[in-house]
Amino acid sequence: MASYFKYIVERGIIYILSIYISLTIVFIVPRLIPGNPLDAVLQQLANMGASVGAEDLIREYEKIFGLNEDIFTQYVKFLREVLKGNLGYSISRFPSTVSEVLARALPWSIGLLTMTTIISWTLGTVLGAIAGWKGESSAFSKLFGPAALLMYITPYYIFAILLLFAFSYHFRIFPSSGGYTPGAEARLDLKFLVDVAYHSALPALSIVLSSLGWWFLSMRSMMVTVKGEDYILMAFAKGLREKLIIWRYAFRNAILPQVTGLAISLSRVVGGALLTEVIFAYPGIGWVIYDAITSKDYPLIQGGVLVIILAVATANFVIDTLYPLVDPRIRYRSE
Amino acid sequence: MFRNIKNNIKTIISNRKFVSGYILFLSVAFIAILGGYLLPKEYFRAGSFHRGLSPSLVHPLGTDVLGRDILAQLLWGTQNSIKIGVIVATIGTFAGAMIGFISGYYGGLVDDILRVIVDVFLSIPSLLFLILIASLIKGSVTVELMALIISLFSWPWPARQVRAQTLSLKERDFILVARLSGMGKFEIILRELMPHMFQWMGANFINAFLVAILTESGLSILGLGPQTEMTLGMMLYWALQHAAIYRGMWWWWAPPVFMLIYLFFSLYMMHLGFDELINPRAREK
Repeated sequence: MASYFKYIVERGIIYILSIYISLTIVFIVPRLIPGNPLDAVLQQLANMGASVGAEDLIREYEKIFGLNEDIFTQYVKFLREVLKGNLGYSISRFPSTVSEVLARALPWSIGLLTMTTIISWTLGTVLGAIAGWKGESSAFSKLFGPAALLMYITPYYIFAILLLFAFSYHFRIFPSSGGYTPGAEARLDLKFLVDVAYHSALPALSIVLSSLGWWFLSMRSMMVTVKGEDYILMAFAKGLREKLIIWRYAFRNAILPQVTGLAISLSRVVGGALLTEVIFAYPGIGWVIYDAITSKDYPLIQGGVLVIILAVATANFVIDTLYPLVDPRIRYRSE
Repeated sequence: MFRNIKNNIKTIISNRKFVSGYILFLSVAFIAILGGYLLPKEYFRAGSFHRGLSPSLVHPLGTDVLGRDILAQLLWGTQNSIKIGVIVATIGTFAGAMIGFISGYYGGLVDDILRVIVDVFLSIPSLLFLILIASLIKGSVTVELMALIISLFSWPWPARQVRAQTLSLKERDFILVARLSGMGKFEIILRELMPHMFQWMGANFINAFLVAILTESGLSILGLGPQTEMTLGMMLYWALQHAAIYRGMWWWWAPPVFMLIYLFFSLYMMHLGFDELINPRAREK
């Protein structure tokens, strides 16, 4: 237990350090470039003369982030505001704050990727288990193996492009973009949910296809290893039915690394499919960042990046702390 | 040292997977470079040709809606994507290896500090920092600058692997002999440790290469790529920007898609080759 405690402390230090370093990089980077983008931000705000209160906003901005003071004060104020959750105002969507814009986008990203990760994981694990049990030279394995390999090495956004071509251009079955029909009322009723599911089908399928290969291959190789164990032979010797041996004995022993993999994938749901969202104009955080890049909305880019980094770091930390409890074979030293 | 490296090279070029991947890769790299001489960059300046021509003898892959020859785009794009891969992989592998050697060999406080830094860099999603950096210099990015920016995050993984290997190697007898014969620490790293890391550095190199091409295309699709030059990512960017899919211009979006899959496949084969050297159990299958 003492070593577990030491391990947790070490991971905790790394967690805090990585957040601190990330924040510092986010603070420093724009200030390294000649022609401070913050000036450009203020300039852009000023140009939007029509919008009421832009002048006040600039003054408030300068006050909150200490833009007229020395760099150290700016740094301290920046850290303080970010920790309070204040990421400033979005320029392209002006009266909204960055936090508001991101809060609207987050459920889309998290929902899409959580669903697809679970579907892909379940499918890949079950198929991989069957392929592994039947052996790598079986017809089943020969059918799915090369396909899985191809899926694994193909970059994930390629699937998005191919599906868009196949099911939105060639066969006009699915919509090409968006998360729901424009103008549809965003309510939690069946009609809206069906609409969302219809719009999410292609993005979801592209993500499932791109991750399926890896789940299949890793489960297959685990299953092959487990099949050679003595307790499987013992189970056969006892005369148990093969189905029982596969799912009760082999599968349950082979699945642990898959569970770890699932946890790691789920920790990436916040920013895991940026380009899929861009290609399908899906209203998640990736699309928001893309939109911000196109409209030079620097505070929004910065906010989006920060939110994803914090989410990933936090999820990593949670997994690191839980993992030794799940798998006692993990030693607490990072050798 | 040189004999050692020569032996290492001999083992890798007798690996079937590596060699087939290498041939696939080299042939396309060769065509891309040669093609660059035959189809000069002017071929993909906007307005050079008629707009939206489908493939023909004059333009084997047609032209896009801006009147640019697509075969020229593909050749130059492939060449530049490979260039980015080479630069990033070289910087990442060697910088990472040096950090890993130093961390593993010197140990103590140096190791503690370097290890924490590597862990921190491994736990932050690098694409996002790259988005942040690239969006600040958007518009003035060149292929080389893009490569340098991507290199900023390409060293932590090689560093971690090389460190782990150094830890296990440094207790071996030949290192002791070298130390007793009066070699300096740095000399030992260069002359004794480095040649034993060949497989790992090779695998890291290929891996960094793959990740670099992937990252480049990702940044480019987001609109952060070198706007006046061509890479595979920029080709996809232009095709997506101008809705090539909905115009039915398959000859525009399909070539970069298939080139990317081809490159990843060949690099993956080479990676498998190194894997078999590192892990002899993988070879039996």
